[in-house]
Amino acid sequence: MAESVSGGLSGVNGKVWYRALGAKIWKFFTSIKLTIFVLLTVAIVSIIGTVVEQGKPVESYVIDYGSRWGSVILSLRFNDMYHSGWFTSILILLMANITVCTIERFPPKWKTLLKQNPNLDPSIIDRLSTRESFITDGSMDAAAQKFLSIFRKKRYRVKTGTSKDGITIYAEKGIIGRFGSDVVHLSLFFILTGAIIGSYAGFRDFAPILVGGTFKVPNAMFGLRLDKFWIDYYDTGQVRQYNSVITVVEGGKEVLTKQIWVNEPLYYKGVRFYQSSYGVAWDRIKEAEITLKRLDKNTFDQPFNIGWGELKNIPGTNYSARLVGYVSDFAFDEETRTVFSKSGDTNNPAAQIEVYDGKKLLYTPWLFFNYPGVMQAIPNSRYDLVLTGFRTIPYSGLQMNKDPGTNVVWTGCILMGVGFILAFFVYHRRIWVNVAPQSSGSSVKIGGMINKNPLGFEREFKEIAEALKGPGSMEDKK
Amino acid sequence: MNQAKIILSLMFFTMAAAFYFLTALSYVGYWVVRKHWLGQAATAFAYIALLSMTMVLVSRAGEAGHAPFSNLYESMVLFIWALTIGYLWMEKRYRMKTIGAFVMTIAFLAVIAASMLPYRFKSAEPLNPALQSKWHWLVSLLTPLGLQKYAIGWLDFHVFTTFVAYAAFAMSFGLSLMFLLRERFESKKKKNILVDMLPESDTLDELSYRTIAWGFPFLAVGIVSGAVWANYAWGTYWSWDPKETWSLITWFLYAAYLHARVTRGWKGKRAAYLSIAGFLAVVFLYWGVSFILPGLHAYA
Repeated sequence: MAESVSGGLSGVNGKVWYRALGAKIWKFFTSIKLTIFVLLTVAIVSIIGTVVEQGKPVESYVIDYGSRWGSVILSLRFNDMYHSGWFTSILILLMANITVCTIERFPPKWKTLLKQNPNLDPSIIDRLSTRESFITDGSMDAAAQKFLSIFRKKRYRVKTGTSKDGITIYAEKGIIGRFGSDVVHLSLFFILTGAIIGSYAGFRDFAPILVGGTFKVPNAMFGLRLDKFWIDYYDTGQVRQYNSVITVVEGGKEVLTKQIWVNEPLYYKGVRFYQSSYGVAWDRIKEAEITLKRLDKNTFDQPFNIGWGELKNIPGTNYSARLVGYVSDFAFDEETRTVFSKSGDTNNPAAQIEVYDGKKLLYTPWLFFNYPGVMQAIPNSRYDLVLTGFRTIPYSGLQMNKDPGTNVVWTGCILMGVGFILAFFVYHRRIWVNVAPQSSGSSVKIGGMINKNPLGFEREFKEIAEALKGPGSMEDKK
Repeated sequence: MNQAKIILSLMFFTMAAAFYFLTALSYVGYWVVRKHWLGQAATAFAYIALLSMTMVLVSRAGEAGHAPFSNLYESMVLFIWALTIGYLWMEKRYRMKTIGAFVMTIAFLAVIAASMLPYRFKSAEPLNPALQSKWHWLVSLLTPLGLQKYAIGWLDFHVFTTFVAYAAFAMSFGLSLMFLLRERFESKKKKNILVDMLPESDTLDELSYRTIAWGFPFLAVGIVSGAVWANYAWGTYWSWDPKETWSLITWFLYAAYLHARVTRGWKGKRAAYLSIAGFLAVVFLYWGVSFILPGLHAYA
């Protein structure tokens, strides 16, 4: 059964069906039409992702575009378009197209360009649009020798051969420019490979580190300590720069210390650390300023300061207090019955203290900076405690990024630069000369060709022709 | 900031604007009335306009204390400057003055657009943290000479290369428009005094292609240098922000143009339409993205 099917599908010339199919697919990918079509398609569909904001929470698309369009956007992955399967597939299609085209065209190009046969049929010269012919005195060999030295002086590579009526010279320059486009295509391959390596083997993370605090870097054997954070300002009050001094700690030892700022990351063992944001800690403070309120007299005592975790006697009373908690934006989770900070902003700061009578823990009240007296801190007493101030701890927000593909991408970029210089600014000039003996002197035909910039070549060709003619030769009027 | 210096750059800009007006006017005049002296005057005005624009850049650099590539207004000045240099070079090399009637009119329109920008896009501000990107090797090279404040960095390189590309694309746009005009009359064998003054359609086609062949690699260098810089400043070389994406869109359009032209022999009309589409993408990349689409490049 299987045999009869494959037999039935095998094509002409005894090729089996999968070969024929493979050849068809291959042929499909060799098409430059496909390249142009895919390039224009990528260009046009990319617009969608710049109009629809990328990477927002899923619900916001339904809110912004309505449930109908919102679900269209989400099902087509327009919300994260550039990482969607279909967009990636188009890019892979483009890459396959470029690869196949290059494989298909490079070897024949290499062959014809590098193995140029110097033996030619002189009538070829007559078919070139840039050509000239003249008669020079001196023998065929002498003229050829003179021409060779002129071409060499002008940095042309020369080959000599024979034609049916004399000697031929093939001179060329800038052949490497022909391979510029191949180098550019190769460079795209590097860039794409680097991007793929980065997306599979890299990681990105963000960590706020408190001043004086430490941080264990994920997927790495070292940690960081933030020694200092500060902001520089211009005289006008605008921010000049955000700076952090960080120390790398590895195996309990300080390895290196570096000041980083925006545009100046720290690089250590493949991971880069960037200054990305800053703020103040939302879950702790350096110290709190607390004021005792005497409810019976409705008066306030002098405020006192209490450090983080510090136990202190409340002046003028028998009680003592320990600062144990802080949130910058107070919120309470009903289910777990815990207090947390709703955000990193200082919207509703609150400090928690433990109130002791001697050694006995009485209460653990929260003191609200914005809402003093909302709950009496020490119930059933003549006192209340008011949070009248606090000193925050700044943090520095570090973005960290490990991307082992980056260097591959840069290699690709450098290759691309080289490729562009070759492709756009190195012209391949080719000149064919045929020298044939005559009754007196020799008759010379020269013709030239360039792959780009024909306007500039005309001039150069004229110069070379003049140099070859030299003094004493005359125009061939034929 | 030093008031006297601000007045200086404003003065140069006003002067440049006046000369761009005269330049465009006399190139168009030369095209219409075909007087040799008018053509000479047009070129002379263009050189003076270029000189004034150079002085705008220099005085802005003095005012801001850094290379003048940091806001929309300054980038417009750079664009006009590059376009003028490119045009004058082409005029010198190919001796075709009617192209000036189109290209220098584009330059003059750009001058008007720049002058109409609201103040917040114009003022010379100190650089914000992300824009400070001097090259260390250059700083350490210049420090012994006491010249470290003149060190440049990724910002300058990135903006400069990008705007050379934009200028080339603008020029190619002008040439493509001229081509379409000329081609329309040639194909119908119609005669028109004005159109016959323009260079041959084949020449226009070739020149349009050659300017794109300059713009394309420059845009590539602009994109790559932006990626290198982003890798330093934002921690990633590519984040599909609208400016990045549109630059890629533009680059792909011109890549399609070059492939169509070099390998499939797309010349003439189709190439001209593609070049015009490419320039529309440039305009959107430059102004549209800055004003309409939010993103990391929003400060431009």
